This record gives sequence, structure tokens and C-alpha cells, in this order.
Amino acid sequence: MDVKGRTVAPSSRQSWRGLIRYAWPYRWRWLAIVGLVIIYNLTQVIQPDLVKIAIDRYLLVPHAHLRPLIELGLGYLAMTGLGLVANMMQTRWVAATGQAIVRQLRMELFRHIESLSLRYFETHDTGRLLTHISSDTTRISQFFTQFLLSLIRDGLTIVLVLAAMLWLNWRLGLLAATVIPIIVALSALFRPPLYRAYDRTRSRLSRLIAFVAENLTGMRITQIFHQEAKQLRAFDTLNTAYQEASINEFRWDVLFNRTFDLLGNLAVAFVAWIGGAAVLHRAIPLGVLYAFISYIQQFFAPINSLTQNWNTLQSSLISAERVSEVLATEPTLRDPPDPVHLPHIKGHVVFDHVSFAYQPDRPVLRNIVLDIPPGAFIGIAGETGAGKSTLISLMARFYDVTEGRILIDGIDIRAMAQQDLRRIVAVVQQEVYLYSGTVLDNIRLFRPEVSREAVIEAARLTGADEFIRRLPEGYDTWLTPRGANLSTGQRQFLAFARTIILNPQILVLDEATAHIDAISEAAVQAALMQVAKNRTTLVIAHRLSTIRDADQIAVLHQGAIVEQGTHHELVRRGGLYAEMVQKSQAPLSSYA
Amino acid sequence: MARRLVWNFIREHGLTYLIVVVTIGLSKVIQVQIPNLIGAFVNSLEHHEMLSSVRFYAVRLALVSAAFVMLFGLGQYLVNRLARVFEGELRHRLFAHWETLEPHYFHRHTVGDLLSHVLNDIPQVRQAMGGGVSQVLQALFLFAATLYMAMRHVNLVLTVIALVPLLGIPLVVTNMGPKMRGQSRRVQESLSEMSDLAEESLASIRLIKSTANEDIESERFRGRVDATYHEAMQQVRLNTLFQSLIPLLTGISFAVTLSYGGDLALTHRISLGAFVAFTVYLSMLVRPLMQFGNVINIVQNSSASLIRIETLLNAQPAIQDPANPKPMPPKPSITFRHLTYRYPDGHGPVLDDIHLTIPFGSTVGIVGRTGSGKSTLVSLLLREMDPPPGTIFFDDVDIRDIHRRDLRAHISYVPQDGFLFSSSVGYNISFPRDTVDHWELVEAARQAEILSTIEGFPSQFETLVGERGINLSGGQRQRVAMARALIKTQAEIVIFDDSLSAVDSRTETAILRSLGELKRQGRTVIIISHRLSSLRYADRVAVLEEGRLTQYGAPKDLLREPGLYRHLYDMQTEGGPARGC
Repeated sequence: MDVKGRTVAPSSRQSWRGLIRYAWPYRWRWLAIVGLVIIYNLTQVIQPDLVKIAIDRYLLVPHAHLRPLIELGLGYLAMTGLGLVANMMQTRWVAATGQAIVRQLRMELFRHIESLSLRYFETHDTGRLLTHISSDTTRISQFFTQFLLSLIRDGLTIVLVLAAMLWLNWRLGLLAATVIPIIVALSALFRPPLYRAYDRTRSRLSRLIAFVAENLTGMRITQIFHQEAKQLRAFDTLNTAYQEASINEFRWDVLFNRTFDLLGNLAVAFVAWIGGAAVLHRAIPLGVLYAFISYIQQFFAPINSLTQNWNTLQSSLISAERVSEVLATEPTLRDPPDPVHLPHIKGHVVFDHVSFAYQPDRPVLRNIVLDIPPGAFIGIAGETGAGKSTLISLMARFYDVTEGRILIDGIDIRAMAQQDLRRIVAVVQQEVYLYSGTVLDNIRLFRPEVSREAVIEAARLTGADEFIRRLPEGYDTWLTPRGANLSTGQRQFLAFARTIILNPQILVLDEATAHIDAISEAAVQAALMQVAKNRTTLVIAHRLSTIRDADQIAVLHQGAIVEQGTHHELVRRGGLYAEMVQKSQAPLSSYA
Repeated sequence: MARRLVWNFIREHGLTYLIVVVTIGLSKVIQVQIPNLIGAFVNSLEHHEMLSSVRFYAVRLALVSAAFVMLFGLGQYLVNRLARVFEGELRHRLFAHWETLEPHYFHRHTVGDLLSHVLNDIPQVRQAMGGGVSQVLQALFLFAATLYMAMRHVNLVLTVIALVPLLGIPLVVTNMGPKMRGQSRRVQESLSEMSDLAEESLASIRLIKSTANEDIESERFRGRVDATYHEAMQQVRLNTLFQSLIPLLTGISFAVTLSYGGDLALTHRISLGAFVAFTVYLSMLVRPLMQFGNVINIVQNSSASLIRIETLLNAQPAIQDPANPKPMPPKPSITFRHLTYRYPDGHGPVLDDIHLTIPFGSTVGIVGRTGSGKSTLVSLLLREMDPPPGTIFFDDVDIRDIHRRDLRAHISYVPQDGFLFSSSVGYNISFPRDTVDHWELVEAARQAEILSTIEGFPSQFETLVGERGINLSGGQRQRVAMARALIKTQAEIVIFDDSLSAVDSRTETAILRSLGELKRQGRTVIIISHRLSSLRYADRVAVLEEGRLTQYGAPKDLLREPGLYRHLYDMQTEGGPARGC
């Protein structure tokens, strides 16, 4: 981890500016917080002073009275109370401000990421994006709730304590102040090994946990191949490594904290040594010495906390940099300045000499010409890598065509707002994604305006209703993305029901290759026909049977359309399509 | 059992624990001398003693604190070190125990649940044995010593009066500690719920974009973000309350001291030095009182954790190996004799009166729909579950009379999901054996049709497959898993559990051809599939329907009779059930 990096990265000034920008709207509240911190610190500094007054003014004089002592006691209590209230409010306000900032930042980041073009997600690791949303924003909030707070609180404590000491006796104060650089140096010296030890423990623990998780999942394999002893040995290696790191971490921890303790006591001894002589020479009263003994111990905690928060600052800056990098990314596909207002769309789709290439010299689609009348059912066939899936991405404008244009009812899709386009064109992916949520919400995609009845109606139309009712809690059954609660066929039904709810004029279906068991395949086919009714439908077929009844079949080969016609026409022609039909039956006919 | 482990461990390390008690105890006794020294120091100043004797106090202060720090540090380190050693032993025991449990156990407990024991319960126990023990010792000695010093050297009544407000501290700690921990857990949960939603959202970004659902997702995300905000604020409220209550109680106690103690000093019932020392004692009492509260919380949590760990360690393997096992017969035929099997928690039978013989050296296919009982049959054959007595035989030996180690030495297996360990390709293939020559590795890879793929990788057999083989495609994973089964050359029976589903038909053909090699070597091959093309070289095919064996015979014969086999054949050669060949 480079979090503790010695030098702040070059763009750190920008990161700082970014952080300040988030804090700026709350500037008055920050000011109030500083005020509260001052009040709190003053009460803390005054408390030893009260005892000093008690000693010097009332205890060391002959014939003193009790009354002022009681008053002092009450004063002490009042100071404590005031300090506590100020501290409590200050901590809560800091937290509230920091949390408000992180909330806003998270929303901004999430919205921004969602607005980026699909290409971004194909080239960026989603795991890393997630880290930005959860961990980086948390670290940024720590800048406010920890670093800034510590800077204000601890910085002020040090200043006030120092001021109080100098005010009581500047010579002794200056001498006492020499412990500050010693504490700072000690803290700075210990920090890197402490951090390294901590880091090593964390990483070894996560390796151990990953090992256990994997071996619990694959326990069957270990047992069937009878390798329990080998895996236990591997476990022991990791287990011991973690244990050693953890003991080492604790050793550093004890070493650091006890050294700090020792230094604190030595500082008191030091003050006693110097101050004792001063009291004897009547240079200072006894009460002042008492106050010094209390004050000098007050240096330790704030300085320690400040150095600790230096690391927080470093990691916050790095996170801020990462987040601002993401926020600075522009979507590659932009909406036109004034998008066309879409009239009622009939669904006439034209591919007008469309070519496409991800890289300039490698065309994926070449000169595609297709005229699809409203309501037609078109099948696209072709081998893996022929460019079928790219066709879908162009239709939904996940990418822009390199040459030519795609028209819907005569309007270039680039003239439309992307969200408008995707309201009329629905793409059903090969992999049907399930959300953590009820079946109901999975079908209506959490849209609050879609009623339960509408969802049930859609499910009934596509034939999904039947299996949904058999689920333990019907439409309210909880689904999860990874949970295998639905079969491939059932997922396909859900996707069709989703489409009915979306009610697009144009449907693009990337047919699933995954082995739907053969019985449900027929039902899926029937559902597809139901969904395709009254819509322009483009089906990318991996299984030729799906498009056998299509109005037209276009056969793609190396990015170009090589054949076009109905199933029977194409079979009769004996070209590529006919060959593909033959091949799909080949493996079995060998022994039939 | 787990509790006994704790006691055994303590007994085993008795000497070290004795040293811990002595060092921590001694350190605390020394620590309480510090305020007394300061008090004596103040008195010596008040009585204008010699400078050298005043300075002597400073030197004593330094020496005493050095002694305290070293003893305390040593004790603290030793006890926490032991706690970590115990933690390691406990983890080892748990993992070793899990290795003895059968798959059924892992079906009933999710990996996440089991992991949470490793992640939460075991550290909880460590905390009790490290921080808990250390805090108890500190608190006991410090509290007793401080009280003694305060009463003896200062004043009994003052001590009692000043102590009253402080007694609220352990109450506050035991009361608010669990609440704060609960709230901190809720904060973590709300954060992970937020991350989960973001993760799902990013994973389904294609769907979201293609349905123009961005705004809905943002709103859903806002709900989660707001929840984290409120939970975090609640946590801050609790924490600040706690952080204020303790100093408040201390402050009250201090104010009382100032007034009453001042009065005592005024009337010369205690010395000024004693008064100053007492203020220091008071601040020293705060920590042990908080520690008492902490320890109560720690003990409560860790005893709950210990009970959970105990439950885990007490889980008994459902399958026991026979006391006097019979050896696995060489080159056995496999016979199922009227095998009916139901799951302990299920209703109807999963397998219903299965009766068939697989002669040694033959290749047999098992076909059936999802849920027809194919996988159960395999699990029984691997004895991951216990069949009823007298139902599965290797020649004439009941599977229940064979030791599992012996049984599994003769069987190799390719799982459905192609599970791989996140190590290198070579490690995964050689997994079943302790030592493997490079040429054997190459040979196994060649047979599984994965050799050229591996040779195409930059680091060849050293290539890392990633977590659960994520760096490989589904088909590649299956083929590596297949090579892993094939490298176990001593196995006479090889089972393929639907393990060709993700390879394309050309590769499938090539693999089936190398399976022919196994047959020539005279090994029994069992292939489970719902793709008939995988079974084309089988001598015989068994058709399972809802747990019953409905057809068994050569593929050619099965094609001639009506039934599921022909039905599947029709569908898999042509598009729909309506059109035959």
C-alpha cells in the first residue's frame, strides 16, 4: 500500500482544492465548530488552574475558609459540564457535516458513473469503481471527521496548554515545551513500523480468509481426491504466518504505547527536577508547579493523535484524487444539444450502409444495409465472431456507427436523447440479470409507477405467471443475482415479462445459448412470439430453430451480410445458412 | 469441548500465565507509588527541604515509572501473545474438523456463515484471553492498590465519598457498551448494503442503460446512502453520550474532592501533599473502573462465541468408516441392487428402486433431466452420502464395508462446476497427487484437450487461474478439472458429472476420443450428461426419470424404442419437438 507515501503526489494541491470545495458550503458551521472547540479546550486548561488556585490561595494561607473551596468545587463542576456539552456538540456537528458531505459525494459519484458510456465499463474494472463509491468516499469523509477535527482540536489544545504554561511562568514554560519535539520525533519514528506491521497483519488475514472460503467451497474436491492433509498443511502455513504477523503487530503496539507512557512520566520527573528547585528558590509558587505537572501530560495525547491523523490525511488525498479522476471522465457518447422530440414511433428500422470498427483497421461490421418494416420479425444468423452482438450494441447506441447511419422512422438515432432512444428500443440480453429484490420488483425494475396488476398481467402474457405462482412466496419471493433460485429458462421468461412492461416499439433479443432444457425451450419460443407481437423484432440467433419462422433471416459472415431470405429460401439456396443448419445436427447423426 | 480447550491451554502454559500475573500485578503496585511520590515531593517542598532531597524525588519518580512500564509491557505482551497462539490453534482445529465433514453439512451451512465464525467468534475468544485477562489483572491490582494507598496514605472517608460517583462508570460501560457495539454493526451493515446495491447496479449496467433505468437506480442508491447517514449519526450520538458520561462522573468526583479534601487539608487532617496525591489517585481509578465494565462485556460476548465454536466442533460426520473395512476388490463391476434413497429432510425418494450393473471396463452414460437423481447417484457412488445397506456393491463387497480412503483411491471424478483452486494450472492438475512428473502433467492436459491452450498462456502451467478459476473460460475450467481427474492414473473408475456442458462441440468430440483411450486401458467410465452428443461412444446408457431407471441399453437400441431418450434425441438434432428427422 502506498497510502503512507512519503511525498504527496504532484496533483495534491488539486486534491486539497477538491476537498475544500466540498467543505465550503458548510463554512459557517465549521466556524461554529472552531468556536466550540475553543470553549472545550479552555475548560480543559482552566481545570488544573482551579486546583492551582485552591492550593496557592486557600490551602497554603493560614486561617483560610471553607466557603471559597466549595465555590471552587462548584466552579470545577460547571467547567466540566460546559466543556462536555461543547465537546459533545462539536463532535456531533463535525460528524454531521462530514456525513452530509460524503452522502452528497456518493450520490454525485454514483450518478456520474451511471451516466458514463458502456465502453467505460468494458474497459474499467467494476471492482475498482465500487471501491471508489464505498471506500474512497469513506476515506474522504475521514478527512473531515478525523483529520480536520484533530487538526482543530489537538492543534488548539497544544497551543492553549503552551500558552497557559508560558503565562504561568515563561521560563519553566519554555523548558517544558522542549518535550514537544521529542514527542513528535518519537511518534514519527514509530509510525512507519507500526503501520507496516498493521498492514502485514491485514493482508495475511485476508489471504487466510480467502483460503478458508475457497476450501470450504471446494471441500468436496479435496475429500474426493483425499487431499485433506495437504490442504491442512497449506492452511497451517497461512495460519502461522498470520499469527506471527499479529504477534509482531502487538509487540510494536506495546513498545510504542509503553515508550509513550515512560516519556510522560519522565516529563513529570523533569518538571519536578527543574520546578522543585524553582519552588525552593521561591521563583514560582507550589500551585504553579502542580499545574505544570498536569499540563505537561496534556501534550501527549493530542500530538499522538495528530501524527496518527497524518496518515488519514495521506489516504484521504489519494482517495480524493481517484474520485476526482472519475468525476472528470466525460461520457464518450453525448446527447445532441437539442434532441429530436419523438413523435409516436411505428418502428421502421433502417441500417443505412452501416460500418463499425472498435479499432480503425479492424472493421467488425461492413456496409450493412437492412430495411426492417414496422412489426417485422427479423432473424440474424452467423457464426461466433461474425458481428452479431455488435449489431445490438449499435442499435441501442452503446457505440456510434463508424460509417453510415441507423434510422428509426426516418430519424437518425444520434439525433435522439439516449434515454429516449432506449425507451423505444429494448434489448434483451443473453444473460438475464436478477436483482436482490422480489420477483415483482425484478419484473418492473423497481419502477414505482408500475402496478402489481400490470406486472402480473405481463407475466401471464409471457407464460411466466405459472412458475412464479409456484415459488414459495409467489410474486413476493426474494431473488438474488448469484442465488441459483431460477433456471435459465425461468430467467428468460422474466426478461420477456420485463419487456412487456417496458413496452418498446422495437425489441432486440440476444438469444441465450446456455442450455435451456429442451422441454422449456418450446415454451420460451412461444413466449417470444407473444412478446414480439406488434413490435419490430430483431433476434440474434445462436440456435437456428428460434428464427426458423422469421419474416426474413440475414446471415452475417465476417461482418457483412452474405445471404438474406426466409428459412426455406435459404435452405434451398444451399449457401452458408444451409451449411449451418446441417452442422447443428452433425454430432448426433454420426451414430444414428 | 471448546471450554476444555481453553482450560487445557491455560494449564499447558501455566508458567507463562503465572509470570503474567506477577508482572502485571507488580507493575500496578509500582504504578500506585507514583502519586504517593508526587505527594511526598509536594510535602518536601512545603517544608523547604534540601534541594538535593527534592531532586531525589524526581530521580525516584523516573526509576519507578521505568520499572512500571517495563513490567507492565512485558506482562501485556506475554498474555496477548498467548492469546494469539491459542487463536491460531483454535483455527487449525476448526479447519481440520471441517475437513472431516461431508458435503451435506456444507449444503446446510453457507460459506459466509462458516466464515463469520472464523472472522468474528475466534477473534472474540482471543480478545477475552488477551485483552480480557490483561484488563482483569490490571483492574484488580490497580483498583485494590489504589484504594489501599488512598485509604492508608490519605483518608478513608474522602476515598469513600469520592468513589461514589465513580462507581457509576462500570454501570455506564456495561449498559452502553453493547448498544454502541450493536450500532457499530448496524453502520457496517448499512454500508455493505449500500455497496451491494452499487455492485449490483454496476454489474447490470447494460440492462440499466438499455432500459433507461438510470434515474430509478440512483433513487434506490439514494435510499441506501441515506440509511448509512442515519445509522452513522446514531452511532455518533451514542458515542458522544458515552464519551461525556464518563468525564462527567469523574468531574463530579473531582469537585467533591476539591471541596471536601480541601476542607480536610485546611483543618490539617490531611497534608497538602496527601491532597495533591489524592487528586492523582482519583484519575487512576477511572481506568480500572472502565476496565471492569469492558471485561464484563468481553466475557459475555466471548462466552457466546465459545458456545458457537463448540457447536461447530461438535458437529459429527454423518458418515463413519467401518471399524473392520474390507479391501476394495480389484477391477470391480458396480452393482446397484434395488437402491431407493431419500434425503433425511426430503419427502419422496430421489432414487427409486434403481437396479443395474456396470461391468468393469465399460463406458456407461447416465441421462436425465435436472432433478432426475443423476447427481445423487454419483454422490452415493463416491460415498458422500450413505446408501441403505445392501444396495451398492463393488463385485460382492458392500460400499459401506469399504474405507472411504480406499474407495476414493480407486475413483476419479470431474465435477459439474469445474471447481478449481486459485493457484496455478499445474497445481490444479496435479492436485490429486503428491508428486507429478512434468510429462504426466502434459499427458493429462493433452487427454483433456487443454494442452495447446495452456501452452498458449504466457506462463504455461504456472499460469494462475484466479479466484475459482475466474481467469479461465467455463470450458477451459472444465477441461482443467478433467485433466485433474485423468492424472489420477491409478483410478480404475472415472466419473464425469455433466462436465462437458461448457465446451464447444468440436472440443467435445476430441475429448470423447481421448476417453476412448481410457476404455482401451480397461477402466470403467461413467458419463453423466443431458447432452446426448456426449454419450455417443457409450456402451450403454441409463435413462433416469424422476428417480426411476426407465431405460437401460445400447444407444442404438434406445433410439428404436419410444421414450425419453428418443424424445431428447429428436429435440437435440432438430429445433423443435414437432419436427423429427
